[in-house]
Amino acid sequence: MLQKLEDLIIEFRSSIESVEKKASLFDLKAEYLGKKGKLNVILKSLKDAAPEDRKELGIRSNNYKIEIQDAIDNKLSQLEISEINEKLEKNWQDISHRDSVRDFGMNSAGYHPVTIVQREIEDIFLSMGFDILDGPHIEDEFHNFEALNIPATHPARDMQDTFWFKDMEHLLRTHTSPIQVRGMEANKPPFKFVGPGKVFRCEALDASHEAVFHQIEGMMVGENISVSNLIFFMKTLLSEIFKKDVNVRLRPGFFPFVEPGFELDIECLICGGKGCSVCKQTGWVELLPCGMTHPNVLKAGGIDTDKYNGFAFGLGLDRLVMMRYGIDDIRHLHSGNLAFTSQFKSY
Amino acid sequence: MIVSIDWIKDFVNIPDMPSEELGTKFTLVTCEVEEVLLTGELLNNVSVAQITEVKDHPDSDHLHLVKFETGKGIREVVCGAPNVKPGLKVPYAPIGTSFPGGFTLVPKKIRGVMSEGMLCSETELSIGSDDSGLAELPENAIVGQTMLEYLGRKRDVLLDIDNKSLTHRPDLWGHFGMAREFAAVFGEELKYPYNEAWEKSLSEKFSTDKAPVTIEVAADSSCLGFSGISIDNVTVQDSPDWMKERLEACGLRAINNIVDISNYVMLELGHPLHIFDRDTIKGGKIVVRRAGENETFVTLDEVERKLVSTDTLVCDAERASSIAGIMGGLDSGVKESTSRIFIETANWKDSEIRTTSSRLGLRTDASQRYEKCLDSNQNKQTLLRALDLVLQLCPAAKVVGNIETDGYKEEKAPLVLQMTEEHICRVLGKDLEAGKITSILESLEFIVSEDKGLLSITVPSYRATKDIECDADIIEEIGRIIGYDNIVPASPLNAISAVRLSNAKKLTRNIQDFLVLRARAHEVLTYPMVGEKLLKKASWPQLNEELQLANPTSPESDRMRPSLIPSILQSAALNQKTQSAFRMFEVGRSYLPDAKKFSNERSQVALAWFSKKESPFMDLLNNLEDLFAYLNLKVKLSRPDYRSVNPYVEPEWKGLHPNEILNFQVMGKVAGFITSVHPVVSRDFKIKGNLAIALLDVTDFETRQIKDKTRYEPLSRFPSSTFDCTVVTESKEPVASIISVLNKLKIKELEQVSIVDVFQMDNDQKAVTVRTTFCDREKTLSGDFISNFEKSVMDTLEKNGYPLKK
Repeated sequence: MLQKLEDLIIEFRSSIESVEKKASLFDLKAEYLGKKGKLNVILKSLKDAAPEDRKELGIRSNNYKIEIQDAIDNKLSQLEISEINEKLEKNWQDISHRDSVRDFGMNSAGYHPVTIVQREIEDIFLSMGFDILDGPHIEDEFHNFEALNIPATHPARDMQDTFWFKDMEHLLRTHTSPIQVRGMEANKPPFKFVGPGKVFRCEALDASHEAVFHQIEGMMVGENISVSNLIFFMKTLLSEIFKKDVNVRLRPGFFPFVEPGFELDIECLICGGKGCSVCKQTGWVELLPCGMTHPNVLKAGGIDTDKYNGFAFGLGLDRLVMMRYGIDDIRHLHSGNLAFTSQFKSY
Repeated sequence: MIVSIDWIKDFVNIPDMPSEELGTKFTLVTCEVEEVLLTGELLNNVSVAQITEVKDHPDSDHLHLVKFETGKGIREVVCGAPNVKPGLKVPYAPIGTSFPGGFTLVPKKIRGVMSEGMLCSETELSIGSDDSGLAELPENAIVGQTMLEYLGRKRDVLLDIDNKSLTHRPDLWGHFGMAREFAAVFGEELKYPYNEAWEKSLSEKFSTDKAPVTIEVAADSSCLGFSGISIDNVTVQDSPDWMKERLEACGLRAINNIVDISNYVMLELGHPLHIFDRDTIKGGKIVVRRAGENETFVTLDEVERKLVSTDTLVCDAERASSIAGIMGGLDSGVKESTSRIFIETANWKDSEIRTTSSRLGLRTDASQRYEKCLDSNQNKQTLLRALDLVLQLCPAAKVVGNIETDGYKEEKAPLVLQMTEEHICRVLGKDLEAGKITSILESLEFIVSEDKGLLSITVPSYRATKDIECDADIIEEIGRIIGYDNIVPASPLNAISAVRLSNAKKLTRNIQDFLVLRARAHEVLTYPMVGEKLLKKASWPQLNEELQLANPTSPESDRMRPSLIPSILQSAALNQKTQSAFRMFEVGRSYLPDAKKFSNERSQVALAWFSKKESPFMDLLNNLEDLFAYLNLKVKLSRPDYRSVNPYVEPEWKGLHPNEILNFQVMGKVAGFITSVHPVVSRDFKIKGNLAIALLDVTDFETRQIKDKTRYEPLSRFPSSTFDCTVVTESKEPVASIISVLNKLKIKELEQVSIVDVFQMDNDQKAVTVRTTFCDREKTLSGDFISNFEKSVMDTLEKNGYPLKK
C-alpha cells in the first residue's frame, strides 16, 4: 500500500510537469484530489492496511495531499501569469521612444540661465536675512546719480555710459544702486536687502559687452557696521556662491557711493592663486565693487548718519552666469533664441 | 597713466623688491596697477662687439659666418646682413636674450653651422629706424659695454595705472604726488627739492622790468587763478636725452626743449601749463573771458570748434589763443624761431572744464587733470619748476619782470576734520595702537593735533579740493595704509528679523515655475528696447515715441517697448525657422508713457505657443486657466466687445484672431488677453505655422498677498447619481451655452454639469453628451426624485433648443 502511495506521487509529479492548459490542470486536480480521486481511493483503503503501517500511511498521504494541492495552485497561478503576459506581449510598446529622444519642441522646458543663477543668489541672501527689492528701470537723475553722491559734474559720470531719454531728465538706470536709494526711502534701519535687476549702459556690443545686463545690489545698514563685517560677509557670501571656501582681498577702488570703496578680488578658482591665464598670472580675479556706504548716500536716503552706517556691494550676474555655464557670448542672453535657451532645460 | 619708478626715485627712495611686488603693493594700497613694464632689459643684455673675421657660409650664397670679439671672448654667428665687415662695431645679443614680441635666442644651427646669438639692426633694438643691415656703431664704442651703457640710458620700471582708479585723486596725476604716496606706503622719507630755498633762488632771477605781458581775468569766467611769467633769450632746440627718455617712457613724444618742459612739468607735478611764443600775444596782455555765443575757435588739431557762452577762452588783446584748460590754438605755441616766451599756469573750475570738454568731445592731458579738481595753490610751484627747467636748458635765458597773476579767489581756510581714534577703529573693525593713526596721517602730509582723544586733522590743500571731505575719507586713508588684509573678518551683530520673498517676487517665481514645470515652456529674455521697424512689422499701434532714447546704440533699439508682444513675435519668428513646435514665455517689463510720472513700467508675462501642425490655442488657453488656478487667482474670461476696454491691446490690432480670442479679468480689471495670431501678422513675420500668444499684466495685483480661499466641505454620506444625455446642436454652438442653460436650473441637488463627449455628426451638426450629477447631502435620493430631475434636465435642454439625439 505504501508502495502504491509512493507510485502515485511520482506519477503526479511527472504529469503536472507537462500540463500547459488550465483545463487539463483542473482535470488533473480532479484525478488526484477529487472525491473519487486517486488519493481518496488510497485513503479509503486505509482501514485495510496493516495496523503497523496505518500511522505512517496516514501521515504520508496527508503530506502528499498538501503537496498536490500546492503544486496545483502554483501551476494555476503560473498558467494565469503566462496567459496575462501573452496578452501584455500583444500590447507591446517601445519604451525607448521617450520624450527625451523626440524632436525638440513640446518635449522640453526650462528656466533662463539668468533666472537660475539669480534665484540661487537671491536664496542665499534670503537665507542670510536679506529682503529682495526692485525698482524702476527708467529712473531720474536723483535716484541714479545725485542720491548716490554723483552730482551732475562729478567725473564719475564718465564711468556711466548713460542712456538718456529725449527729455534729458530721465534715463535708464546704469546700475542697480538706485534700488539702494529706494530701499532706504522705504525702510527704517536696521535693514539689509538686495536688489537684483536689469541695468543699461550705452556701449558698443561685443561678446563680452551688452547694453542690457543684470546686477545684484546689496546693502546692510545698522549700528556699528565695520569694514571687518563687510569682509566677513563677503567671504561668507562668496563661499556660498562658489560652494567652497574662497579667499578674498580688498583693495582701494573708487565708487562715489562708498567710502572707503573697494574692489574685491577673489583668489583665482582656476589655479588656486598660483597664477594662470584667467587671472592674468596674478592669482586674483576682480569680482565685485563694495564699500562702506558714503555718508552722503545715507543722508540722501534719510538715514541718521550719527547713529547708523552700513555697507553696500554690487555683483554682475551675467558674468556669474557665463562663468557657471561657460557661455562665450553675452549677447545670447537676450537673444530670445531657443537654440540657446533650450540648453538650460529643466527636463 | 604711466609712472616711471626712475622718476619717482628723484623724490623718494624705493626699497629693493621685485617690480611685480611693487605693482601689487601699490594696487593694494593706492590704485590699480594694470601692468608693470621693465624697460632697458633688452639693451642691458645686448653689448658692443667688434667683428674680427667674415667668411662665406659653405651652404648659402648670402649668409656669412661672422666671428667677433665680445669683450668676454670670441663668438661666432651666422649672419645674413649685407654690411658685415671685419673691424665693424655692432650690437650683439647673446643666447638667452628676449626680444619684445616674445622670442628668446636659443642655441641653433643655421644650415649646419652653430650660431651663438645674433648681431642686431637698429630696428631690432628699437634704437633707430634703419633695418637695412646691422647697426653700425662708431669707432669709439667700447667693446663689451652694454648697449644701455653705450647709449647712456637707464633701466626703468614703468607702472601702467588705470586712470579710472585715479578719478578721485587729482594729486596723483604727477610723479611728485605719486612719490608722496610711495613714501607713505613704504615708510620712506620724501624729498622736497622744490622747497622755499629753491623758490627763493628762482625768485632772485626776477627783474624789476615791467612785465611785458599782463593778465586780466574776467570775474565770471571759469578761472580759479592765473599766473604767468615772461622769459627772453630762449633757444629752442632738442631736449637733453634724460628728458626725452622720461617723456617717451610716459608715452609722450619729445618735440623741442620748451614744449617738452611744459609736458615734463605736467607729468612731474600733475598740473598742466602752457608756454606761449610771446610774440604771438597781441597787445601785451592775456585776457581770460567767457566765449561769445556762436564764437568759434580753431584748436591745435585744426578743428573749428563751436563755442557757447559757458566756455572760457584765454585770449590776447585781439583774439583767443586757447580754450581754457583744454586745448590751445594753432599759432600761440613755441616755434623753432621763438626766443621770447610766456609761461602760463592756471587753474579752472573742474565742472566747467568737464562740461566744455565733453560737449566738444575733446579730452586732453590737461582737461582730464583739471576736471579732477586741481589745487590753485599748485600754480606757483608749477610755474617756478617750468622756469627752473628753462633756465637749466637755456642758460642764456633771462626773466623779464616778476610773476603776473590775476583771478585768484580768496584763499579758503584749510579743511579741518574732527573725529576720535575710537570712531576710526570702530568703522574699520580693527584696534590700532595709540599714535598709529596720527603717524599714518602725517606720512600723508595731514597735520594732526589731539585733544582728549579727539583728533583735529588738517587736510593738505591738494587733497581737499574734492577727494577728502568727511570722516569716511580719513578712515579710508588709515584703512588702506594699514592694509585691508590686516583686518580680521568678523560677523556683524544684527537683530533677528524674519524675511520672506515679496509678494511680487513670489508671484513671478510661481509663474515661472508653473510655466516651466507644468506648461512645459522655455523661458527667454528679449531686449527691453525696440525700434520703430519692429513695432511696425508687428502692426503694433503704439510707437512709444514719448519713450525714445536720446542716444540709442542702434535704430533697432531706440525706444522702450510698449508691450512684450512685438518682442515675443520676433523671437517666435526666429525660432520657428528651426523648431517644429515650441512653447516659450518671457517675464519682463513693458514701458508706457505717463503724463505725470513720465513712464509707467508694467510687469508682464508674454507667452507664445507654436506648432507647425495644429493650432496650439486650446493648449495655451488650458495652460493659462490652470496657471490662474495655481496662482489662486480668480479669472474671468470674456470675449472682447465694445464695453470691455483692454489696456494691453488695441481692439483694432491686426494680430487678433476673429474668433480665438479672450480677455482675462483679474480682480475686476482686464489683466491681459489670449489670441491666435492672425495669419496676416504671422505672414509679416514670415511665420509658417500656428502661433497662439497671450499677455498677462500682473502690475495691478503683484504686490497683493494672494490668499488661498479653498475651504473643505465634509464629504457627503449619501451617494450621488449621474445622468448622461446626448443632445444635437449646431456645430458652432459653444458647449458652454449648454452648460449654462442647465446651471440655471433651480435644483439644489444639482451638483455639477459637465461635457462628456462631443461628436461631429456632419458639417452642420454635432452631438454633445452632457453629464449632470445630483446629490442630496441629507438623504439618499429616491428613484422618483431622480427620474423627476432627469426629466427636468431633458425638458430644459429641449426647451432651449437642444433636442435629444434620437
